[in-house]
Amino acid sequence: MTSLTTEAGAAGAEAPAAPARALAAQTRGLRKVFGRTVAVDSVDLDVPAGAVVGVLGPNGSGKTTVIRMLLGLCRPTAGSVSLLGASMPDGAGSVLPHVGALVEGPGFHPFLSGRENLLRCAAFEPLLPSSRIVSTVDDALDRVGLADAARRAYRGYSLGMKQRLGLAAALLVPRRLVVLDEPTNGLDPAGTREVRRIVGELHAAGSTVLVSSHLLAEVEATCTHVAVLQAGVVVAQGELAGLLAGDQPVLEVATPSVDLALATLRAAGVPARACRGGVEAELLGTPPAAVVEALVLAGVPVSEARRRRAGLEELFAALTEEGGA
Amino acid sequence: MTTMAGATAAPLHRMLRSELRWAFRRPRTIVALALLSALPVAIGVGVVLAGGPQGEHGESLIAQVAGNGLVLPIAALSAAIFLLLPLVVSMSAADALAGESVHGTLRGLLLAPVGRIRLVVVKSFGVLAVTTAAVLLIAAVGVVTGLVVVGDGGDGVLTLSGTSLPVLPALWRVALAALWTIVQLSAIGAVALAVSSVTEHPLVVLAVTVGGLIFTGVLTAIPAMDWLEPVLLPTGWSAIADVLRDPVPWDQLLSSSYRAGCYLLIGWSLTLARMVTRDA
Repeated sequence: MTSLTTEAGAAGAEAPAAPARALAAQTRGLRKVFGRTVAVDSVDLDVPAGAVVGVLGPNGSGKTTVIRMLLGLCRPTAGSVSLLGASMPDGAGSVLPHVGALVEGPGFHPFLSGRENLLRCAAFEPLLPSSRIVSTVDDALDRVGLADAARRAYRGYSLGMKQRLGLAAALLVPRRLVVLDEPTNGLDPAGTREVRRIVGELHAAGSTVLVSSHLLAEVEATCTHVAVLQAGVVVAQGELAGLLAGDQPVLEVATPSVDLALATLRAAGVPARACRGGVEAELLGTPPAAVVEALVLAGVPVSEARRRRAGLEELFAALTEEGGA
Repeated sequence: MTTMAGATAAPLHRMLRSELRWAFRRPRTIVALALLSALPVAIGVGVVLAGGPQGEHGESLIAQVAGNGLVLPIAALSAAIFLLLPLVVSMSAADALAGESVHGTLRGLLLAPVGRIRLVVVKSFGVLAVTTAAVLLIAAVGVVTGLVVVGDGGDGVLTLSGTSLPVLPALWRVALAALWTIVQLSAIGAVALAVSSVTEHPLVVLAVTVGGLIFTGVLTAIPAMDWLEPVLLPTGWSAIADVLRDPVPWDQLLSSSYRAGCYLLIGWSLTLARMVTRDA
């Protein structure tokens, strides 16, 4: 576990981006205890500015608790939170105007219409001049596809529509950081694509995005960075590409002459073992091309060679199942 | 990283206006106010149907209403202050914090961000607005009903002291009674808001506030508990009849207002202390 995190960190450092990128949010030694339950423990989370960070974890792993502490909604039992350079929760007043958030599902008043709810949110939004409230609200409703249902009471909204309204509230004004807790909950496939598009647009515009999700494909498709939480502890974090590549540097070679292949690789000093339909060579410092060349020169018929790239799903399963055991 | 630009809080008047719209758009606020305004009408109609002044009416305010229309708003307030008005006030306080919390909207306000102290100010304003609206509505409907249904008896208002007041000074007495009622109810509102800040169940606020009132009512009925009376809020509530004496005896009106002020201060401080640290 530890080795993976280190490896991922190393891979992240090699990335072409600036070596010491500014952090939009950072937690150190974060801990939250509710009664006798330790919800979150020693969480050191880094959210690089401009990144799209996916927070992954099974239900009850502490994702939402970390996000709530990050936003100053609740006070950590121990540890520190820095958000856009301000210490939270005390700096909430100065940084939260630049932060849009959808936490623990959308929260609105059932007796008001979607538009009235959003007008109420807008009235409390520091960066919104009073003269622009109405046009901003109508634009926001348009953007999330709720213009037609804007004047219907919120209590009649479907789960997906409620989620869209929550998104609209989080994106009322341009934000430097957007925090979305399970944004695709209850959305249909079109809505999910829409969220992905919105996250992409925010990323392109230079905003930092923090998304928590249990939908791995979602995170894999939209995120540049990932943090995996398990039972309140961060078990891995870093750039998505680094984490995935750092997982299993293995070359799968399909060949009928398994014995010859194994002998050749052993002679070449490459650890290898037989597998179904061929051999697996561990690429510890050996470039894949060199492995294939050695095999071919030794007369091993190579029908296919493929670097095994673990999907986020396998990585996630490996991390969380091991951690839980 | 660019420097933080722009305001850190929305203009206060904008937040207050939004809070007002929210409080008065709520169906149950509208229904409660409508029902409250029916109270003076019911009293007025009842008194007229009962057929004018009857034998020994003593100092009962309702009995005084007969042929004495401008007593009606004061009688209605004195009848409503024991249960109906506290119910409406605690309902509004329950919605203010516990209700926002249960709908997940308290989080939204804190994230906007509305500073936590400012939030208590905005919420207190909302509760005070509903309280004031409820009291003024009873008073206004009471005045109209009193003048139209009951009539002013020809020579103004007969005071409890036996003198009679012209209409204009009598209206000032009604205003005084309304103001005094608002002060008493603000104390209840502050305590209810404090309860509202510790729970996310609006019903708990209602139960604690109204239950507390009933409990103090029971305490005042027990002679052995007499020593508690100076600290119980309803102890001074009979003082509202004093506005109908000539001249007005101020001591009871003032001491009950002072007591309400203490409750207001304690309730508001507890709300503030709780909201500053509350996890949302």
